Amino acid sequence: MVRVRTLHRRKGFFRDSLRTPILLFTSLLFLTVNGLWIPTASGEKIITVGSKNFMENRLLAELFAQLIESRTDLTVLRRLGLAGTQVCFEALKTGGIDLYPEYTGTGLVTILGGEPMNNPTEVLNRVRSQFLQRWNLWWLTPLGFDNSYALALRRDRAQELGVRTLSDLARIAPTLKAGFGYEFMKRPDGLPGLQETYGLQFREVVGMQQTLKYQATANGDIDLLDVYTTDGRLSVYDFLILEDDQRFFPPYDATALVRGDTLERYPELAAVLSLLTNALTREQMRKWNLLVQEQGQPVTQVARQILEDLQLVADQEPGSPTYHQQPSQSLFAYMWHLRGTLAMRTWEHLGLAGLGLLLGIALAIPLGLLLERWRTGAETMIRIIGMSQTIPSIALLAFMIPLFGVGTFPAIMALWIYSLFPILRNTFSGLRDAAPNVVETGRALGMTEWQILRSVRLPLAAPTIMAGVRTSAIWTLGTATLAAFIGAGGLGVPIVAGLQLADVNLILSGALPATILALAVDALLAWVETIVKPQGLDPVR
Amino acid sequence: MMTTWALKADHVSKQFPDGTLALEQIDWAVEEGETMALIGESGSGKTTLLRLLNRLAEPTTGTIVVQGKPAASQDPIRLRRSLGYVPQDGGLFPHWTIKRNVCLVPHLLNWSAEDQDDQFQHLMQLINLDAAQMAERYPIELSGGQRQRVAVARALGANPAIVLLDEPFGALDPLTRQELQHQFLTLKQRIQKTMVIITHDLPEAFKLADRITVLKKGHIHQVGTPEALVKTPATSYVQSLIESHGSSW
Ligand SMILES: Nc1ncnc2c1ncn2[C@@H]1O[C@H](COP(=O)(O)OP(=O)(O)OP(=O)(O)O)[C@@H](O)[C@H]1O
Ligand SMILES: [Mg+2]
Repeated sequence: MVRVRTLHRRKGFFRDSLRTPILLFTSLLFLTVNGLWIPTASGEKIITVGSKNFMENRLLAELFAQLIESRTDLTVLRRLGLAGTQVCFEALKTGGIDLYPEYTGTGLVTILGGEPMNNPTEVLNRVRSQFLQRWNLWWLTPLGFDNSYALALRRDRAQELGVRTLSDLARIAPTLKAGFGYEFMKRPDGLPGLQETYGLQFREVVGMQQTLKYQATANGDIDLLDVYTTDGRLSVYDFLILEDDQRFFPPYDATALVRGDTLERYPELAAVLSLLTNALTREQMRKWNLLVQEQGQPVTQVARQILEDLQLVADQEPGSPTYHQQPSQSLFAYMWHLRGTLAMRTWEHLGLAGLGLLLGIALAIPLGLLLERWRTGAETMIRIIGMSQTIPSIALLAFMIPLFGVGTFPAIMALWIYSLFPILRNTFSGLRDAAPNVVETGRALGMTEWQILRSVRLPLAAPTIMAGVRTSAIWTLGTATLAAFIGAGGLGVPIVAGLQLADVNLILSGALPATILALAVDALLAWVETIVKPQGLDPVR
Repeated sequence: MMTTWALKADHVSKQFPDGTLALEQIDWAVEEGETMALIGESGSGKTTLLRLLNRLAEPTTGTIVVQGKPAASQDPIRLRRSLGYVPQDGGLFPHWTIKRNVCLVPHLLNWSAEDQDDQFQHLMQLINLDAAQMAERYPIELSGGQRQRVAVARALGANPAIVLLDEPFGALDPLTRQELQHQFLTLKQRIQKTMVIITHDLPEAFKLADRITVLKKGHIHQVGTPEALVKTPATSYVQSLIESHGSSW
């Protein structure tokens, strides 16, 4: 006799079927909450620097971060690569980040929704007073360069045509073919306004992607293009930027936009950042941008170079760990080099997906039980929740921003919503279809509905429910890579950065661990499935 | 002379929401301690009648009386725990051990562990299975005949006065079936309970029952002892039923 299980020892006659899953659930919860916990020594002074998801903005953010690190005792957290102005600005307002690099023109037009103005001082004064009044956000003194729109053409072609200004251009425009970015063709401070101000009429206008435009202009396929004035490529191609003689393009002076309460807490911030006042010219910025944009140098390295160039470095310690691109390295050497960072990202990733999933389990299973009781509304309800699956994940993440800001919390909310459907559907149909004849016999022998649910339906449905959990787990882990777009960290961070830099090693350094993680979690859940599956359903092995 | 009725149906009709009339104006009674067989072709209303007895369904009109009290006035859960029930496929919980299955109703009634142990031993002995060997097995580890016997043991779990069996041997092969019928007769003698047993099979009814109810399309054609059915068939349907089985008993 191997083991004698008698009724004496089994007080929880009905309950023991639920004990194992509950235990597992709690320990998983514990594990994943740990995953999200950022270790900080108590009393440590921390500020968070954010950036948008294009290279110049990342570079400036990294520049701020390194300068603060070298000149203050503040610890700097980086939330670089947030998806666009709205996300960054919401994050700043809600305190998800303390500061980020912004452009005065963007503040005026995109955030305040104001009419474009063309005097840089007026624009700065306008955004300063408005942001202070409305949100207690501070525009520090500009860095010295502006990154606005301009039209450019090949220098030799410009000489041949005899154009130097936009007014010159207007005269000969009907003979020219222009290649413009799609956004530029739509924005009021882009082509439409330009045409109105200068009366520009081109022979032909084609919409083109940024990289292609430069090449096409150099080849002579198109005559002119729109550029950002600090684009690194302008220091490679010999283009002439046409002078905006009627001052149509609004100024986009770059500087730090900072939370007022952060400045109050750490007044030294304003002083330190003011070291960068008028420190960078357009031409210098093009050169730095070129290094990150085209030559794939890491922003940490370039930011450090800028500080050295400006002779602002206080100490010689290396910056915080980040992604270095070393083209000669093999993928595995590269990943080994980054193992610390990748381990941290993996941990974050697991935390995001795990918490989303656990919350999903916590809602979907009880809801499934409820719907099984309340059949009339069930199908409608399940269909509504099923609809959440059809929202593209990046859109769902974006919907969370106005509600919860950026960072970990909204990402978990979105992952939570995403994880619901497979679990709910499987819980409902698993319970509904659990061995109907057996359920009927339980009833005929005098079990209450509650006893039937707990001791018959739920254990028999457990494998089906678990299959739903597994599906959800894989979806959630996959979707969690997109959380990087709203600054929640995880393995999406190297993937997103890698996509922008077209750096395959960087992409793989995120994608590979993400895949391994998914396989490992699936294997773990397969094992859990064998545990929750009641004994007696399979013939003895 | 006063007969005690264990079960009684007075003017009972059952119509399902979709309009199917499963039973029509049934007057029917089962004596204390007798075994009543319900026989009739598929769809004649046998299962429906059984389900009215333990209130898995409610009659559309008429009254069901169980042990002298109207069923409608009894708490359905308590009523069901006092009526044993065996479905055609046994209906054992696949994820429960044999012991847990057999002790289901005693457990629901909060018997002490010792009493449950004793009862398990007793019931396993009644159905000729080795208690120690079976206790920790799962239903899937038993033969079809063993499973059906365990289902009978479970129905007897808390010593109900009445046991309802819906084609308990219907799914078994002829040999096992005969063996179980034989055991059933022995069991019947030992426990002396009121039983209602549904069957498709006239020979089975003749063998096991004290009286037989012949149902057709929701009507009772005859209630009587096997001899009465043979000697004085009440309708031509009963007569044809008897004749078609003339040689087999
Ligand atoms: N829930 C229900 N809804 C509608 N009609 C039903 C329902 N249950 C049974 N019926 C119908 O009632 C009639 C009697 O069914 P019942 O199950 O009592 O037959 P039976 O004599 O037990 O047949 P079988 O020998 O095939 O088990 C049949 O016509 C059946 O289709
Ligand atoms: Mg039936």
